[in-house]
Amino acid sequence: MFAKALATLIVTFSLSTAALAVEQAKPVAQPTAAASQAAPATAPAAVTTAAPASAPVSAAPATAPAPAKVKPNRAITITMFMAIIVVTLGVVVWAAKRTTSAADFYAAGGGITGLQNGWAIAGDYMSAASFLGMSGLISLYGIDGFMYAVGPMFSFIAILLVVAEPCRNAGKFTLGDILSFRAAPKTVRGVAALSTVTVSLFYLIAQMVGAGKLMQVLLDIPYKVSVIGVGVLMVGYVVFGGMKATTWVQIIKAGLLMTGTVILAFLVMAKAGMNPVGFFTDIVNSPLIQDHVRMNVLKDAVAKPGFDYGQRFMEPGLFLKNPLDQISLGIAWALGAAGLPHILMRFFTVPSAKEARKSIVIALFINASFFFLINLIGFGAALYLTPQLISSVDKGGNMATLLLAQKMGGGAGTIGGDVFLAFICAVAFATILAVVSGLVLAASAAIAHDVYVNIIKGGNADQDTQVRVARITSLFVGIAAIVMGLAAEKENVVALVALAFAVAASGNFPAVMLSLFWKRFNTAGVVGAIVVGTVSALSLVMISPVMTYPQKIANDAKKVITTLEQKQVEGAVLTEKDLTALDKARADFKKNDGGTSMVGLKAPIFPLKNPAIVSLPLGLLAAILGTFMFRDRRAEEMFDEIEVRQITGLGISKASDH
Amino acid sequence: MAVNYDWKAIAKNGKYLELKRKKRVFLFGWWFASTFYYFLLPFLSGYYPELFKIKIIGVINVGYLFILSQFVVAFFVAIIYTRVANNEFDRLTDELVREIG
Repeated sequence: MFAKALATLIVTFSLSTAALAVEQAKPVAQPTAAASQAAPATAPAAVTTAAPASAPVSAAPATAPAPAKVKPNRAITITMFMAIIVVTLGVVVWAAKRTTSAADFYAAGGGITGLQNGWAIAGDYMSAASFLGMSGLISLYGIDGFMYAVGPMFSFIAILLVVAEPCRNAGKFTLGDILSFRAAPKTVRGVAALSTVTVSLFYLIAQMVGAGKLMQVLLDIPYKVSVIGVGVLMVGYVVFGGMKATTWVQIIKAGLLMTGTVILAFLVMAKAGMNPVGFFTDIVNSPLIQDHVRMNVLKDAVAKPGFDYGQRFMEPGLFLKNPLDQISLGIAWALGAAGLPHILMRFFTVPSAKEARKSIVIALFINASFFFLINLIGFGAALYLTPQLISSVDKGGNMATLLLAQKMGGGAGTIGGDVFLAFICAVAFATILAVVSGLVLAASAAIAHDVYVNIIKGGNADQDTQVRVARITSLFVGIAAIVMGLAAEKENVVALVALAFAVAASGNFPAVMLSLFWKRFNTAGVVGAIVVGTVSALSLVMISPVMTYPQKIANDAKKVITTLEQKQVEGAVLTEKDLTALDKARADFKKNDGGTSMVGLKAPIFPLKNPAIVSLPLGLLAAILGTFMFRDRRAEEMFDEIEVRQITGLGISKASDH
Repeated sequence: MAVNYDWKAIAKNGKYLELKRKKRVFLFGWWFASTFYYFLLPFLSGYYPELFKIKIIGVINVGYLFILSQFVVAFFVAIIYTRVANNEFDRLTDELVREIG
């Protein structure tokens, strides 16, 4: 079948780009490396890798507790997981019976209310990484972690003001529908589909790897089993239940996630006597937090006299180092979310622009409350668990929320602690399932609706065929995601989510905006924006510091060797830890000396981790140049129509119309 | 779609032009203003960290309050937009649709 071949082709393309991008810096447990690399992990991304190595061996505080492990009660946790699986599968069975047309499959027949869609969008957006990773960042780096959470919260503003309603008014199911309105449909749909599949798969792989690692850490379920399990469930939701099931899975997940977050934040504040000023004063005065900031973060072996290390936890710059990188990341947040295909797609599930507006406002409120509460959870974890304990369980701090749940529920081994920890684990599990389902749906909609129905069939396919093709495509996208998730086990996938946002901000966002608001914008402009935006974002990441540079690892290893050998020469007896470190450094040096990165570089050329500050202007420039070079009268003639449609909603595409 | 609209004619309709102008000024104005405010956060924290370190309420400093203010601004924009859209934009759109028939 041709669709299959095409799907394979697109998937192969994305696989190769993804494989390039997953090439990643392995954490180097070494002071110099940590200092120069301790820039932001970029996004609500892979759960277990959200932060750079923070605790160099030599600077570990003497008081650090022995490395611990989160030990949920398996019976309770698995029961809760099962409950989630049973409920969601029930939803799928219910939705499957009601999914008969393409509009049902892609847009739940336009029958979702603004309130429901608001919860579902919030559900799409609050990933396990924000739930686990951001509170972890706050617990280890203080206010910088909280600052990090502002981006995803704020990204709804652009969606609310300039994207949601116009897109609902002018679009149908996918990004391609909006972009192809007055441009050459086949070309534009092809490009849009390629971009959608790329962005969704980047995001998807990051989630799959995060899911696999989380299950492995929590329940000792092998990585491969977890990835396949999550993948099978996700494929089941999408293939059988389409958008209706995906939406309800999102709603259930968002409800559970908010419940867990509210309870946990409430317990933290209750413990702090409902006094926020007292709470933060306790944090600043905590000797363990002060030690952590001094020794693990700032690496002052001897305290600077008069320096308030506790207050430093409340000041910026412990985690986010390069201001330009922050601004670049800010661009990806502020504009990228509005270009994410799986978010765009959600506007088409509601019947009108008014409902789309309502849903974004609701999503914004839920999301902002969520990120605010995460700040209390993160600081609570720092105060009541200590950063030392959190980083001993996981260097990136990803277990902070879970450990805090256990502690607040009554502590390890108590029924309260076990039940609350199991509940929070189950919430994280539901979160992953819901997010991956939305992504699979977006990618397969691009392939089935844009490529198969509109390019290959020229828009002429009956409903049964459309739904069948959509289901087959979802199956293949799901399988591809599982295979890539398995292949990426050892990779650090943080960069992938950042990349998805950067591509969406640099390519999709200018294309969507200019389609809606610029009269002269045409086919060449759309293609220019998406191709140049995507390619420049990808290639800049390829030569940026997020890639692995063997020569750098070798140089760092060399420094360790020199330091330790010097110690030996001076007659000091090395501890066992130092000896192991020496052996490892020698091996690292031998393996990496003279090596180059994937694109043959010894050191990064592009200094920033996030490319948006350069790739967005490039995408925009390409859009403008393309438009002027290939003037298209028809596109200009049709501008009145798209403008009237997006502003007034006249002739809005109703689910029953197609 | 059941009805074929004369898009060119609507595009010249006075009511439509009023709606278009109002929407454009409001939406882009608030979008630019709030985005500017958002970018103050990485900019100030990166280039003027001393500002963020000034303590305001006990140990709570300008930085923490500035982050909180981002949430307030987002809420504020969402609320004001909902009000204006529900009252003014939707009313104008309804009037326009009735006029076109």
